[in-house]
Amino acid sequence: MENRPLEYDYTVTKMFMFMTIVLGIVGMLIGVILAFQLAYPGVNTILGEGLAEYTNFSRLRPLHTDSVAFGFTLSGIFAAWFYIGQRVLKVSMAESKFLMFIGKLMFWLYAVGVVAIVVSLFMGITTSKEYAEFEWPIDIAIVIIWVLFGISIFGLIGIRREKSLYISVWYFIAGFLGVAMLYLFNNMEVPTYFASGGVGSIMHSVSMYSGTNDALVQWWYGHNAVAFVFTVPIVAMIYYFLPKESGQAIYSYKLSLLSFWGLMFVYLWAGGHHLIYSTVPDWVQTMGSIFSVILILPSWGSAINMLLTMKGEWQQVASSPLIKFMVLGSTFYMFSTLEGPIQAIKSVNAIAHFTDWIVGHVHDGTLGWVGFMIMAALYHMAPRVFKRELYSKSLMATQFWIQTLGVVLYFTSMWIAGITQGMMWRAHDEFGNLAYSFIDTVTVLHPYYTIRAVGGLLYLVGFIMFAYNIYKTMSARPVEEYELQNASPMGA
Amino acid sequence: MFHWLEKHPFFFAVGVFLVIAFAGLVEIVPNFVQASRPVIGTAPYSTLELAGRHVYIKNSCNACHSQLIRPFKSETDRYGHYSLSGEYAYDRPFLWGSKRTGPDLMRVGNYRTTDWHENHMKDPAGVVPGSIMPAYRWMFTNKADIDTAYAEQLTVAKVFSTPYNKPVPMKDGSTVTVKMGSNVAEANAMALAEAKVIAADMKGQDVKDAVAAGKIPEIVALIAYLNSLK
Amino acid sequence: MNKIYLWGIIFTAAMLGFTYMSFDFKHGLSDIVNQLAIAGAIALVLISVFVVIKYVRQMQTDTADGQLAAEKWDGIGEYLNELPMGWAIMFFLTMIWGMWYFTIGYPVNAYSQIGEYNEDVRAHDAKFTAQYGSITGDRLVEMGESVFLAECKVCHGLTADGIDGKAANLNKRIEVKSVKYTILNGSNNGLMGMEMPMPDRNGLFNGNSGALITDAEIDAVSAYVANGMTGAGADVFAGTCASCHGEDGKGMEYVAPNVAQFTPALVTNILNHGKKAAIGTMPKFDRLNAKQKEAVGAYITSLSK
Ligand code: HEC
Ligand code: HEC
Ligand code: HEC
Ligand code: HEM
Ligand code: HEM
Ligand SMILES: [Ca+2]
Ligand SMILES: [Ca+2]
Ligand SMILES: [Cu+2]
Repeated sequence: MENRPLEYDYTVTKMFMFMTIVLGIVGMLIGVILAFQLAYPGVNTILGEGLAEYTNFSRLRPLHTDSVAFGFTLSGIFAAWFYIGQRVLKVSMAESKFLMFIGKLMFWLYAVGVVAIVVSLFMGITTSKEYAEFEWPIDIAIVIIWVLFGISIFGLIGIRREKSLYISVWYFIAGFLGVAMLYLFNNMEVPTYFASGGVGSIMHSVSMYSGTNDALVQWWYGHNAVAFVFTVPIVAMIYYFLPKESGQAIYSYKLSLLSFWGLMFVYLWAGGHHLIYSTVPDWVQTMGSIFSVILILPSWGSAINMLLTMKGEWQQVASSPLIKFMVLGSTFYMFSTLEGPIQAIKSVNAIAHFTDWIVGHVHDGTLGWVGFMIMAALYHMAPRVFKRELYSKSLMATQFWIQTLGVVLYFTSMWIAGITQGMMWRAHDEFGNLAYSFIDTVTVLHPYYTIRAVGGLLYLVGFIMFAYNIYKTMSARPVEEYELQNASPMGA
Repeated sequence: MFHWLEKHPFFFAVGVFLVIAFAGLVEIVPNFVQASRPVIGTAPYSTLELAGRHVYIKNSCNACHSQLIRPFKSETDRYGHYSLSGEYAYDRPFLWGSKRTGPDLMRVGNYRTTDWHENHMKDPAGVVPGSIMPAYRWMFTNKADIDTAYAEQLTVAKVFSTPYNKPVPMKDGSTVTVKMGSNVAEANAMALAEAKVIAADMKGQDVKDAVAAGKIPEIVALIAYLNSLK
Repeated sequence: MNKIYLWGIIFTAAMLGFTYMSFDFKHGLSDIVNQLAIAGAIALVLISVFVVIKYVRQMQTDTADGQLAAEKWDGIGEYLNELPMGWAIMFFLTMIWGMWYFTIGYPVNAYSQIGEYNEDVRAHDAKFTAQYGSITGDRLVEMGESVFLAECKVCHGLTADGIDGKAANLNKRIEVKSVKYTILNGSNNGLMGMEMPMPDRNGLFNGNSGALITDAEIDAVSAYVANGMTGAGADVFAGTCASCHGEDGKGMEYVAPNVAQFTPALVTNILNHGKKAAIGTMPKFDRLNAKQKEAVGAYITSLSK
């Protein structure tokens, strides 16, 4: 008994893996619909005039952002935690009935939350704040789910056998704390039904902050939601899955350490870059710009650490599509964490803000980094949790190239669209009048919107191939008898 | 020290929290009070305008439209005076947006009118060829939620002392008093009176009939809100 | 050549090409913001490609070594390697730069975006007035067209045809229904540059008949005005309207506007005061300056000539 490897219990991981795939498909499908709506407005009534209220761009957009960020991404993060956590802390979920119960409860509450959110956003129940659209009853549910996640993290840590915490665990802890703090403060709101003594809708609330203050709090939140959802936990994932899959040791502990604490310290200060040239004080904006530039280094630290971990291992990169996802993922991470700071420079932001260049930046990060990492994580976990060989390596390789092409089409088209529109807005003609009316700056974007939509469609197709590959893995292949050390076994 | 922290999760977590927590204070607290003081000429929203604002939020117009005019010559030429912090004093939530798929609407009340909005919301591309804005036809039949708007007025008046039924200074030295009903029925009656003024400038017979029958379609509330953006 | 360099060059060339494509050469060359944005875009491409190639080369040629830490987590080891020098130096330098920038370079309140804006506007206006403040004739019409296309076409349409009656058709002075509406309801838009209403039908006497204007007369005179002052309603016009609008309908200064044709003065007045009538409401346009109003007036006047 003592010398046998621990039997880890992956029940909760499996549940969240399933959720990741479902919400990934839903969220990205909506993304593709949005992209086509901007290129071909007729798509707004895709299910007919009668349902246009529910299928038009503006109703669907928050559904896209929330389902990919808090559906796809968070589920992926949860799945990864319930996998990585046990393994690097050397303790099995099976050892604690309590934690097992908390994990399952968290999943089911989360599933109910997803349904509530989808329904409410379709109905147009929203507070309008980006990435914090949910009305107060859902906020409360989210807080409860988050507390359960906290119990899962610290509970497992509490009964760990591995005395010191692995790098990934640092990042999971930080991700948990960051989101907890941000979410609470940004969602301070007064339900009007109760405050008015029972008038109107029970769902409605009004923000505790007004105007400029509300904007400051919102973007302190919004920026750091990016940090603690799209960055920190994804870094946690790559620190585990890349060395694990490749069998390589982390290049440098010191670099891990400095990048982590550097990131923690610097990230929070950079939120002002969403408010440049707004009515928040000049010094807040300047601070946002400065810290954004400094932020390049701690961000790149982790990425460099990962790339150097693969030092001398080109043959692995060349032969394994799974490793390709992670290496290209860190590359996109570097790209978007250089792009962001450049867009945070005041004069560049004067052009980039409000345009598609920002949307391009967003998707460099989310498609190229977050999406790739989550799929890589699921690919790595699947053979181990289902005890089967991955269904098809060639399918995985095809998927990789299709999606890479998709991302490239997405960001190049948005790059052109953003810079073009930004400049047209500013242009004055020879008489000193505005050179373009607004609509001129819209129609010029049509080709780029079309290219983006095609790119997005390719990415979605790749994702469906991924889902298929995992599905076939679950259901078809022969059983693996032994604990796999590193590289995942893959069928042809 | 770090090695020690890595073996003591509780202190590790406290350390992380301290490192991430104080940036927020520095960013937000110093200007908190000042930023929320209204500039002269800014008045709270009337019941109908607020209901329209809810329609705007419900349909996420802010996904495509900003309400923030940056201090650039090209923006003030296009949209009017750059935004001032105090103009947003009664905006809960703020609606600056972060993407301009469509133009800024901070002062759209200055240069677009009721009948134009009516045509435009029904069929944007019919008014502006090449527009990619969706048509919002259901707003002409869905009814605005006046009760909830009134509930919000009561709430902000009580919790944040928003000056309803109190004189508010205007730029020309005069004052304006935005009235709020003393009960739900009165609030609805006041909103309907406002709606009649808007409907008079509209062309669609359905909308006119609805308002005449005491019902307020969402579009009427929305236009009241858009007209108030100045 | 190594494939990775080739990819690097292709990527760089493509991104620089795209950036070149997006640059608005016609208007954007002198705008410092445009230049800086492009510089940023180029830096982004070059730095990314350079750095990624560097690490890929290390994957291809280097080997992993160093001293391993004692611990392992689920089989994952860690080298005790030193920090990559370039990275550490850059991190240090950016922090120094940040502190310098915030304390010495641009200390807390040294910069004001509104101050910068005011200077910008002053420079723009000075340049504009010096170069175009006194243009006239065709150039003025051309300038007016540029204002029209940026500001007015959303309502009046690209060809100023009013988009199927959604706003006034400016290729024609006025339509029957608009004249009729004005006679029936009066008009109080401040078109004369001051409060100077035109009375509604109850104030309009037909001097020829000595009685209030009749429905038939209204129809006739409306058609007369809309047809460019020709046709049957001439006598009604002479009897009722000419006292204010003049025999030829060309208006009288300080009394009533020109209803026979557009004039820059009429357009300027409409832009100053807005107009609400049969078709709908036209907003006033405070944000145009006097020269721009004059120019768009000249343009509109030129349309119906
Ligand atoms: C898909 C993006 C999109 C959505 C969603 C959207 N709009 Fe628009 N909007 C546009 C575009 C593009 C234009 C410019 C072309 C035009 O005038 O139609 C525009 C123009 C406008 C204008 C005219 C402003 C001006 O200065 O000309 C108003 C007013 C407006 N929209 C209101 C709304 C409201 C209210 C909503 C929500 C109920 C909304 N829009 C939703 C894209 C959008
Ligand atoms: C008492 C003087 C007076 C008389 C008589 C009068 N008008 Fe007018 N009219 C005005 C004034 C003043 C205005 C501008 C009102 C405003 O500012 O809106 C005007 C405006 C108009 C306009 C609108 C011009 C535009 O483009 O907006 C029309 C059309 C018009 N008059 C036609 C007539 C006709 C036809 C008659 C005779 C049946 C008539 N008027 C009689 C004073 C008069
Ligand atoms: C929001 C829509 C809108 C915009 C923007 C707009 N207009 Fe108009 N305009 C109208 C409408 C509606 C009318 C018709 C009013 C009526 O007679 O009922 C009108 C009428 C006019 C008339 C008067 C026609 C007449 O017969 O008296 C002139 C001149 C005019 N517009 C010029 C302009 C110019 C110049 C601009 C741009 C600087 C402009 N408009 C922008 C909506 C607009
Ligand atoms: C060094 C790191 C980064 C910096 C300094 C940075 C900076 C910026 C800036 C300046 C904006 C535009 C604000 C605006 O003008 O509207 C932005 C937007 C955004 N970024 Fe980043 N970025 C960084 C990394 C990332 C990463 C890695 C991701 C995702 C994986 C990401 C996701 C986003 C998102 C989602 C937005 C859009 C926010 C909105 O809705 O407006 N960023 N970022
Ligand atoms: C199939 C792939 C996808 C497509 C086609 C797609 C498309 C879109 C479109 C069209 C928008 C709206 C842009 C606009 O308003 O102009 C958008 C916004 C956004 N998407 Fe996606 N998306 C995809 C995948 C993802 C994924 C996987 C994520 C996150 C993990 C993501 C995160 C976001 C975010 C955060 C925004 C808001 C950006 C902002 O406000 O600046 N998307 N997406
Ligand atoms: Ca909320
Ligand atoms: Ca956004
Ligand atoms: Cu940010």
